[in-house]
Amino acid sequence: MTLSEKICARAAGLSKIGPGDMITAEVDKLYIKDLRFAKGEDPRGLYGVFKELLNAMGIHKAWDPAKVIINFDEQPARTKKRAEGQLTARKFQEEHGATIYQGEMGGIGHNVMVERGHVRPGEFIVGADSHSCTYGALGCFSTGIGFTETVGVLATGKIWLKIPQTMRLLLTGKPPPWIWGKDIVLRIMAELGPNGAVNKSIEFGGEAVKDISIESRLCICNMAVEMVALNAVFPPDEKTVEYVKQVGDGNFAAVHSDPDAGYESSRVFDLSEMEPFVATPGLPCNGQPISGARGTKIDQAFIGTCSNARIEDLRVAAKILKGRQVRAGVRMVITPASYGAYFQAREEGLLEIFQKAKAMVTVPECGLCVRPSLAAGEVCLSSGNRNFSGRMGDREAKIYLASPASVAAGAVAGEIVDPRELL
Amino acid sequence: MAGEQGIRGRVWKFGDCLDSGNIDGVMAGVDPEFRKKVRAGDIIVAGINFGMGSSSEHAPRSLKDAGIAAVVAESVSNIYLRTLINLGLPAIECPGISGFAEQGDELEIDLKSGKIQNLRNGQVKNFPPFSEHAIGLLSKGGLIPYLRASTRSAS
Repeated sequence: MTLSEKICARAAGLSKIGPGDMITAEVDKLYIKDLRFAKGEDPRGLYGVFKELLNAMGIHKAWDPAKVIINFDEQPARTKKRAEGQLTARKFQEEHGATIYQGEMGGIGHNVMVERGHVRPGEFIVGADSHSCTYGALGCFSTGIGFTETVGVLATGKIWLKIPQTMRLLLTGKPPPWIWGKDIVLRIMAELGPNGAVNKSIEFGGEAVKDISIESRLCICNMAVEMVALNAVFPPDEKTVEYVKQVGDGNFAAVHSDPDAGYESSRVFDLSEMEPFVATPGLPCNGQPISGARGTKIDQAFIGTCSNARIEDLRVAAKILKGRQVRAGVRMVITPASYGAYFQAREEGLLEIFQKAKAMVTVPECGLCVRPSLAAGEVCLSSGNRNFSGRMGDREAKIYLASPASVAAGAVAGEIVDPRELL
Repeated sequence: MAGEQGIRGRVWKFGDCLDSGNIDGVMAGVDPEFRKKVRAGDIIVAGINFGMGSSSEHAPRSLKDAGIAAVVAESVSNIYLRTLINLGLPAIECPGISGFAEQGDELEIDLKSGKIQNLRNGQVKNFPPFSEHAIGLLSKGGLIPYLRASTRSAS
């Protein structure tokens, strides 16, 4: 079996599973974002629907509060609905128990989950947000679930799942410096095409993996949902173990694919001659080498989101922005992905570099990825994960996706440029 | 309900890569007038990657509330597919459906045998039959009613 199949089999209490099997898996951890508690998707809200279900089932408590992690992705709440959602989440915690990250413990939930040691190799994790696939970077199975499914997991601890085929993506060659996770994943997506990995399980491998940082792996797995994959996973290696021990109690059971594991297909990506990549507006798989979009004028440069605003990203942005200025007429917004990254950046003097460069630094949250900031006709160069029309404001605005290095370079130039020009 | 008998309805066709943000409000991002044209029992036929993107349930619920009887697409994003079924609305992946059904055609779908018949020309297309579990969920109207019922029958 593959790594993902082995984790799913263990979670389902089965000794062997394969593609096409329907399983009922017991989850090791459930992540819920505060927005899910707001009365939006269902007028009763998540807690209301959950309470009604518990009553009907004749039970009184959530399945396992020790496995439920809630994060406030927007702080302070900007709408009454969201504020009520956060209050409801706290009520849920009082009545059922759960871990809540808020205030200066928080940031974007996915980053908090990883940095606070809630993600461990070998685990079966689901999250009430589509980018929960991010955690696969640490060698676990993780995928996003919807509102109704979240209620089901809270009540029973279980979800149903159809085991997909696994695609193996082998990364070879030594990636040049200034090639980041975002460049690699945008290239993979462009080569696979929009239908390339739909509902598949992705497993990375190859000799280049050891040279790819944990932060870049998180960015790559974060984009698995943009490939419409079920999940993506990096087999745990020395880097993974070192990271997991650093952030958590080091108590985990790493899982690896069997030597005779069955893969649906295998693709090789040689990273040695790679150029930085950019995705043009519309779909995240619209990637091309950055030279093809060179000279595109931008109105907004955004470094943020669960995809790319970790400390590695802030460091490279600072390297480019140090002693330089954001081009007049360009808004540059830097939103560290978590308070962990924010405080670290402050300690290293990065925030001061950003401010001197005239970039706006905001508190950690999802920020402009979910809040409209673009008018019709405006162009944004973003380190985020989605460039669908209307995602960041007006449907007639355009979003280009690139690495934080490329976004910082674009902010200085006022147009899309190759970040290597600003070395 | 959906899981028990065949589904029969009229086709509305849409394109590829429709993300959930643009599906929200009964396909409002593609056709703001669609919510007025659609009738309960209609079927949405779409291209690849239907429902990609956000896990927000606003979009699938808007289709459910509009009375859509089924979504048949070349491919459906995993979260979206599970969410629709958990809401009691069958989402079917059927490669080749775009060329098989035209706007306004009437389709008859059988989830158990994995067959779609186009009533305009009598042609039949196959898709992987739904599992018993998925049919069980659909026949109860979705995950929440299914869980309610399963606990009652267990106790």
